Amino acid sequence: MPQLRKDPILGRWVIISTERARRPKDFPHVDSSPAEKECPFCKGKEDQTPPEIFSIKDNQGNWRVRVVPSKKPFLNPNVELWKKGKGPYDLINAVGSHEVVVETPEHIHNLADLSEDYVRDVLLTYCLRFKELGKDSRIKYVLAFKNYGWDAGGGRIKHSRSQLIATPVNLKRVKEELEGAKSYYNYHERCVFCDIIRQELSGGERIVLDEDGFIAMVPFAPRFPFEIWILPKEHSPDFYNVCDKNLGGFARVFKKVLLKLKVLLNDPPYNYVVHTAPFRRPYPGYWSTIEEDYHWHIEITPRLTRVAGFEWGSGFYICPALPEEAAKFLAETKV
Amino acid sequence: MPDLRKDPIVNRWVVVNAEQPVLPKDYGISPFKWKGDKDCVFCYGNEHLTPPEIEAVSETWRAPNTPGWKVRVVPNKFPALKIEGELDKRAIGIYDVSNGVGAHEVIIDSPHHYKTIAELTDSEVQYMLKVYRSRTLDLRKDKRFKYLLIFKNVGAEAGASLEHGHSQLIALPMVPKNVLDEVRGARHFYEYRERCIFCDMLAYEEENGKERIVSENEDFVSFCPLSSRFSFEVWVIPKEHSMDFGAMNDERIKKLALILKDSLARLKKVLGEHPYNYIIHTSPVNTDAHFSYHWHIEIMPKLSRVAGFEWGSGFYVVGTPPELAAKLLREAA
Repeated sequence: MPQLRKDPILGRWVIISTERARRPKDFPHVDSSPAEKECPFCKGKEDQTPPEIFSIKDNQGNWRVRVVPSKKPFLNPNVELWKKGKGPYDLINAVGSHEVVVETPEHIHNLADLSEDYVRDVLLTYCLRFKELGKDSRIKYVLAFKNYGWDAGGGRIKHSRSQLIATPVNLKRVKEELEGAKSYYNYHERCVFCDIIRQELSGGERIVLDEDGFIAMVPFAPRFPFEIWILPKEHSPDFYNVCDKNLGGFARVFKKVLLKLKVLLNDPPYNYVVHTAPFRRPYPGYWSTIEEDYHWHIEITPRLTRVAGFEWGSGFYICPALPEEAAKFLAETKV
Repeated sequence: MPDLRKDPIVNRWVVVNAEQPVLPKDYGISPFKWKGDKDCVFCYGNEHLTPPEIEAVSETWRAPNTPGWKVRVVPNKFPALKIEGELDKRAIGIYDVSNGVGAHEVIIDSPHHYKTIAELTDSEVQYMLKVYRSRTLDLRKDKRFKYLLIFKNVGAEAGASLEHGHSQLIALPMVPKNVLDEVRGARHFYEYRERCIFCDMLAYEEENGKERIVSENEDFVSFCPLSSRFSFEVWVIPKEHSMDFGAMNDERIKKLALILKDSLARLKKVLGEHPYNYIIHTSPVNTDAHFSYHWHIEIMPKLSRVAGFEWGSGFYVVGTPPELAAKLLREAA
């Protein structure tokens, strides 16, 4: 019998197919990407990108991680914010920013293949850019994410990089998570993520890794097969504070998890997003319990199945792998 | 300058690239090739290769599970949900689970392997829509089901595994999140203004230059919503307020067949064969429905790959502004 499971934060149901539960080898994927174009992100080609916004350099002054504006930004920092109504619709102009984080000067594709130091620098870059972008009062949210591989929305250039998007509006999916966490807190006076961590640690069947102050787990109601979340075990609403606390530990766990995915599923396309609390400013939707009710985390979703009309129409997802089995496979994968 | 547009029903923001619009040729849609009808389980003569039919339409008498049908409904061979059993909902610590009770049916649109909806005759499309209606009317008698979703996947990128035109129906024991968002949004708007938000959107389009309207007939409008999530997204919606797809009479089904076929033909003319999904959003069943809802069909071409940003944020980037898409579709008559 298939099982329906409900995400305790969003209230979203997923269908877990238990009878035809698929194993890692049942998700073959072919790289369908077109031929690679010449890479403008490698060292020595710095003049081919828009001027750099930020970089981390080594002792010799060579960059290790570099942030540049997107060549095709859909949000722009250099305009006045306007808002207006149009019939039943609301419009805002696209104020914000769209940055590309070039994760290495070498032409390496997968972040999992960078050394731990580089992964650490990439995460440090995110933190520092979050703090910087947060100074602009027009910005409500910054989303850090990665599209790795063609089926995950990656481009024709495969040089390892991720993106930062700063928006003047609340993002629907993030807002739902914030509201879900708040409503749980209002009722229980506890953080829903902390409760999830406690329950997962006591059972252990969905834990992938538990070390250095972080847990990596397959969520109880995942949308996608082999989806993994990484959360700090200690309650913390803001991602960007990790750089002052335990950046080394996070980088170690993050790299290990990405490597496990790569080894177990044969270098699958994947996305990840960092979900963190919005900047604390008194704007509509601001609330005072956010320090206690929200818990930052990173969601990693391999792209092994196609999303079809059912998912678009319903918001229901069909996950063809059993989360407990997926976690076991991942936990047992040696890296 | 691109603009951010907010969907008035579910409060979702989208970014529309109005300055450098992406044109149909820029999507690089790969040329379509038929794989062929050899071993097609949905073609005439292969009725024994599917589970026994649930319902079929034919113009003359035929024995079940034999050729001669116009539209045929069979259970999905690999159902996401199963029809047998009592609904069993319970808690595991802080989590909620339910057993997977539901129905998963495949509606074979027509006997033609090599025809898309745009190429079927008007009466063939009517048959298909009438079967959609009869399946929803039949399944809603089962009080375990709270929502009946009819949808269609065309092309591998849109999740279709078989190329013979077919639709699917999934009966769910709870109202899914996306529908709940729309139902609540519509209700919220109604409680505030005592009007239907969908009717307001239509009125706005009709009264403001009709720049997003693709086509219309007496009973239906086909338009590109101002806050579309996808390039060339098209909605087909009844002009008269109605919450229930299943309540449509035969006359109206005729009009719906015409406009659905016309909209898909225009999309095909502008984009070539392309992957797409469509879904029918109608009111939940066997639960508190509210008359403020307005049923409609959402057609969503899959022209670009949805990436991490969209998944993580619920915020969509639209390459072709709906105004331009509607213009191209209007001109493609």
